[in-house]
Amino acid sequence: MSSTLQLRRVVKRYGDSVAVDAIDLAVEQGEFLTLLGPSGCGKTTTLRLIGGMDWPDAGTIEINGVRVDNLPSHKRDTVTVFQSGALFPHLTVAENVAYGLKMRGVPRADISPRVKRMLDVVRMGAFVGRYPAEMSGGQRQRVALARAMVVEPSILLFDEPMSALDLKMRIELRSEIRRLHEEVGFTAVFVTHDQSEAMALSDRIAVMNKGKIVQIGTPIEIFERPSNEFVYTFVGESCSMNIDEQSELHLSQRPTSPQRLYLRPSHLRLVNGSGAENFVAARVTDIEYLGGMYRVHAEANGCRLFFDSTEAPELGPNHVVKIGWNSDDATYFPVS
Amino acid sequence: MTDIATVAHVGRGPRTVSLRWLLLAPAIMFIAIVFGLPLMYLVRMSFNLHPPDGTYVEAWTLKNYITVLTNPLQLATIGMTVYISLVTAAITVTGSFIFAHFVWGQKGKLRTVLLAIALGPMLVSEISVIIGWRMFFPSNGLLSYSLIWTGLADEKINLLATQTAAVVGLSYISMPYCFFTILSVLNGIDRNLLTASGDLGASPVRTFFRVLLPLTKGALASAFTQAFVFTMGIYATTNALGPDSLWTMGYEIQRQMLSRRDWPLASAIAVVLVVIITLAALMAQWLRHRKGRGHA
Repeated sequence: MSSTLQLRRVVKRYGDSVAVDAIDLAVEQGEFLTLLGPSGCGKTTTLRLIGGMDWPDAGTIEINGVRVDNLPSHKRDTVTVFQSGALFPHLTVAENVAYGLKMRGVPRADISPRVKRMLDVVRMGAFVGRYPAEMSGGQRQRVALARAMVVEPSILLFDEPMSALDLKMRIELRSEIRRLHEEVGFTAVFVTHDQSEAMALSDRIAVMNKGKIVQIGTPIEIFERPSNEFVYTFVGESCSMNIDEQSELHLSQRPTSPQRLYLRPSHLRLVNGSGAENFVAARVTDIEYLGGMYRVHAEANGCRLFFDSTEAPELGPNHVVKIGWNSDDATYFPVS
Repeated sequence: MTDIATVAHVGRGPRTVSLRWLLLAPAIMFIAIVFGLPLMYLVRMSFNLHPPDGTYVEAWTLKNYITVLTNPLQLATIGMTVYISLVTAAITVTGSFIFAHFVWGQKGKLRTVLLAIALGPMLVSEISVIIGWRMFFPSNGLLSYSLIWTGLADEKINLLATQTAAVVGLSYISMPYCFFTILSVLNGIDRNLLTASGDLGASPVRTFFRVLLPLTKGALASAFTQAFVFTMGIYATTNALGPDSLWTMGYEIQRQMLSRRDWPLASAIAVVLVVIITLAALMAQWLRHRKGRGHA
């Protein structure tokens, strides 16, 4: 049994720069996989290669075991939900959703019930006769979602579909996509630079950097066992310090070779005396009120640390405090 | 288009209305004097009589209009002018659309160069354009020599003084207006719509007919009207590149005015020309509003 989607050594160059650098990727039936990375990491290009909107320079792409990298977009069994929604402005909601079915030669009699059912699924049943210009951004994205899902493609591709929406709408649509994935069970490749989106939605996340997949795994694996510094710092908030002989800090176990210590702000806390396995003396530089909690910025050994505290710290800027953490929460990577 | 309409409605209080008219007054007066008065004079002239030994005598008669609308020669002239204008408009719009579509997909330097090329016809006068084409079409012209040189023709070919030459010349002159009208609308279209259409399973041809054409038909209609109106009024190009038998309203006005010194008849033809142009513009407007419902 082959994977629903299989990329082997896929390369895409633009001039001298390599946008996608020999990527291997397999996505299984019903899986929700997210390509996560900063802008310019090649995630959108990878998606376009899968969707047939760009041609790879090398490598193969298979969908359900059939090579598709030489097929144009309209002959591939993939449908994309675009960042802009890309709804046809001259067609009503119902006509937009029916478009893909018509193009795929679905019998006329089947189209209208399928469109209706899908619009009900995305809770846009009351909007059939509306034009895109008469709806909000979130409503348009729901219709775009329905338009893509109704054709039941082998793979649904999402090109940052929520980045144009405001935060509230984003979180709402996010749980909507999660629900639809559970109900409908489609296979999805989702592109985003927003790690919370990736965490909330994905079965697996492929973290990309500079055209390569640097780590692939479940959200928990990615967050708790990052394989390198890039993943650690890109996914979730982090503080870091170089550890060498001169560093003034108390560690229960000191690494033998020069290492860089990585810590999550959520694992840091203020300590008194020697009440922690590991601690460092740090000078408070700033305290921000974030609503319900305070973010304390501090400096130690020339490195910046920060953490959140629910109680207002008694000590203001320029006081020296002790910041502690548990040994289990510390991650070391070799100094590069 | 919706946006402009909305903006115009904002803040339409009694004070802003009077202020607006005040601000518009100089422009309106300019138009009234420069365009309105001559037009009124033209209309008045068209009701005068033509004496055998002069240009006109004052009268109130419909004789000239009866001539324009019943005389077979005059009717043939109107028919020929409308026909040439329709053909030119169709060719111009098609050519402009293809070129604009190509430019739409370009970026950076190439795009700038292409835009400059598109502006070309507007930078030279109609006379220079005519002279240019007169060197292109005759049997000793550039076209003839290129065809022989490339082996596409065995003998010299003359296209000067043909309808083809006239239509090419007219299209060339009206092309920039159509091109920029269409390009401005294309620029407002999200290219992802075409990608999305292909992605949903539509071939490029179906994408063209189902997405691109519906989204640009308003622009194509106004470009067509523009080219039609423009061509209806042109006199020199048709005359200099076309055959003697290509008898247009512009040429006929000139002939009546200057050769036969029949000012009233020339005016009546001119009024009919203005009416045809106005009707064409109104019809295009009406078509656009009728079809543009829902997604303007």
